[in-house]
Amino acid sequence: MVRRDPLLPNAGIVARREYRDRTRSPLFVASTIVLMGLALVVAISPIAIRYLDRQTVTRIAVVADDAQLASVAVGVADSLLNIPPTGSDPAKWERPFDIARASERSAAQADLAAGRVSGVMDVARLPSGQLDVTYRTNGPPNPVRSQLVGFAALALGILDWTSSLPKDSQLRPFQTPVFTPVSIAAPGDGDQPVDPQELASRSFLGIVFVVLIFITVVIYGMWVATGVAAEKSSRVMELMISAASPRQLLTGKVVGIGLAGLTQYVAIALPALGVLAVQDRIAEAVLGPTWAAGAPLVGLTPNLLGAYGLFFLLGFTLFALIYAAMGSFVSRPDDLQTLSLPLSLVAMAGYLSAIVALSGGGGRWTTLASFVPPFSPFVMLARVMTGSVAPWELALSVALLLVAIAVVAVVAVRLYAAGVLLYGQRPGVRAFIAAARRAG
Amino acid sequence: MTLEIDHITKRFGTTVALDDLALNVPSGQIFGFLGANGAGKTTTMRICLGILRADSGEVRWDGSPTSDLPRRTWGYLPEERGLYPRMTVLDQLVYFASLYGEPPDRARRAAEHWLARFRIPDYADRRAEELSKGNQQKVQFVAAILHGPEVLFMDEPFTGLDPVNLALLREAFVELRDQGRTILFSTHQMESAEALCESVAIVDRGRIVAGGSVADMKRASRSRTVRLGLEGETLPTWLSLLPGVVAARPGAGFAELELGPGGDPSAVLAAALSRGANITRFEVTEPSLEALFIEHVGRPAGDDATLAAEDAA
Repeated sequence: MVRRDPLLPNAGIVARREYRDRTRSPLFVASTIVLMGLALVVAISPIAIRYLDRQTVTRIAVVADDAQLASVAVGVADSLLNIPPTGSDPAKWERPFDIARASERSAAQADLAAGRVSGVMDVARLPSGQLDVTYRTNGPPNPVRSQLVGFAALALGILDWTSSLPKDSQLRPFQTPVFTPVSIAAPGDGDQPVDPQELASRSFLGIVFVVLIFITVVIYGMWVATGVAAEKSSRVMELMISAASPRQLLTGKVVGIGLAGLTQYVAIALPALGVLAVQDRIAEAVLGPTWAAGAPLVGLTPNLLGAYGLFFLLGFTLFALIYAAMGSFVSRPDDLQTLSLPLSLVAMAGYLSAIVALSGGGGRWTTLASFVPPFSPFVMLARVMTGSVAPWELALSVALLLVAIAVVAVVAVRLYAAGVLLYGQRPGVRAFIAAARRAG
Repeated sequence: MTLEIDHITKRFGTTVALDDLALNVPSGQIFGFLGANGAGKTTTMRICLGILRADSGEVRWDGSPTSDLPRRTWGYLPEERGLYPRMTVLDQLVYFASLYGEPPDRARRAAEHWLARFRIPDYADRRAEELSKGNQQKVQFVAAILHGPEVLFMDEPFTGLDPVNLALLREAFVELRDQGRTILFSTHQMESAEALCESVAIVDRGRIVAGGSVADMKRASRSRTVRLGLEGETLPTWLSLLPGVVAARPGAGFAELELGPGGDPSAVLAAALSRGANITRFEVTEPSLEALFIEHVGRPAGDDATLAAEDAA
């Protein structure tokens, strides 16, 4: 007959000791401070990017043979390069390109050589009447900017041609076509399509979060494994195993270390959330009262932080249970590196799949992996970050993770119960199976 | 109340660690569980504590299966000593007692009492890693008794202790016995068992080969101990070669000979006289526990009868 001890209070007592032991270690405090700083940087990065973006005005000088041609060229280039973002007030919007006529060709060349202007658009009329547009840059040309200047040259040519038509011509004057980009598979947040700038911002955040969840799951998981291995190698396990059941010990250790991780997460997230709460005020102070005219300041949101917290907890619990079982099978903490490698590789596979998902790749594998534990904590988080997840998909992924945790917990407790009493044996698959049978 | 170990068998793979082992330990006694390394002592204790499960058989305390009783019924001092190296002594004593359901305040007071009793009150706030092995062993002993268990399982409790600490621990055993605790301790140090135990059981290769009260066992034994003093030499080689002598060791000015069941004390005396030795002392006493052990197991208790699986258990 097997004694069935209730989880509490012993699991709680073990958890409290583990929690205190971890949170008081210098390594924990140092890593929390570093990660807190990183989270603050991430939270404030949209404002910083906007600030730097606003500071960067590209100056282009226009040189032409006559004043009228120069004026038209400036107007055309300005209309093509300075397009205000949707919803912004053109009157308040600050233009990224400063396009102005230079009176002398030589002066413009000197400005370009000295770096005072980024480019010189030189418009000349050939004897045939054809326009000759040269775009000069100092160093390798920016391909996108060169393309835009190319379109400006084309538009300038069309306008020049229509202006030369007879006044009684039956042809209608040239009109710029209306151009609107529409995507049929744009990532969305519910019914709302996600702005491309927001999407780029989320992808960046996604990489930060996926790297963070991978590192924390593996590091905290190894904490659990080394904790078990250290208890075993110091032989204190012999005392513990008579005072509490394997289920209580394992649960206490996973919960205690998990709570230490959660504490670190809250310590990291709270300042970041604080920044988010006053993001508007910071933006107004840094960017001035016209900051709202630009693209929305998207970065960290409470929902994304919540998703990270959820998948961290579930992912950690799943991996920590397996790490604990592994820790129980080694006689020395040094042996853990070898034994835990396959599990670290599984976590690595989930991490790489998530990175692929963030870049929009992976196809069916990404979708499948976002539901299959142990990959789902990484991949589903990545999908949430890019805003392409339906609520039912999220619910299913979480439910499958919970089921996996329940199954793994039962097996891990059995392995742990057998493993903690195994001394002097090389850890291996056979030892795992034999011990699990014996404990059963 | 009795601790009944009722015909338990335990196998590790193909190795039989315990073979139908049966034993009764009366309450309020210090009971010696004697055996060589690997004889099955630790496995038996682990089964009593519920750490391992027997393949067959059952362990009962006061008629109830041990698995039905709360963990705080038992105290355990494992053979493998270990504490949390970086935790202070007092903190870990309170921690272990809390796991057994002891309120922290009461555990703290009891811990301070026992640390003072073991002459290490100043070590309460030190980390365990700063303590000597002997002091760590005393701390572990305190951890095993702090919650006031009814039954104590002590696995080789005296190993590695200096004479002063050995005496302190023996005094604690007697005090706990006088409080009504039942103590089952394993050892292959026969002197400690002889000094403390009213009853013993001798285990060999997973089976009980002898058991009962020490006095009865000595009376029933056909072994004898002979103390022979010879002028000029303490332990001549020929003594240990005499028929029936199973062990010979030097004493203070005499040789102590353990005679097996076939040994005859008068034959020892006759042999000494025939060699012209000048005899200063001749004494026939009851056999020592060591002699009883050899009689039943066939070799001294220090010799290993290693069961490979014992370490693996």
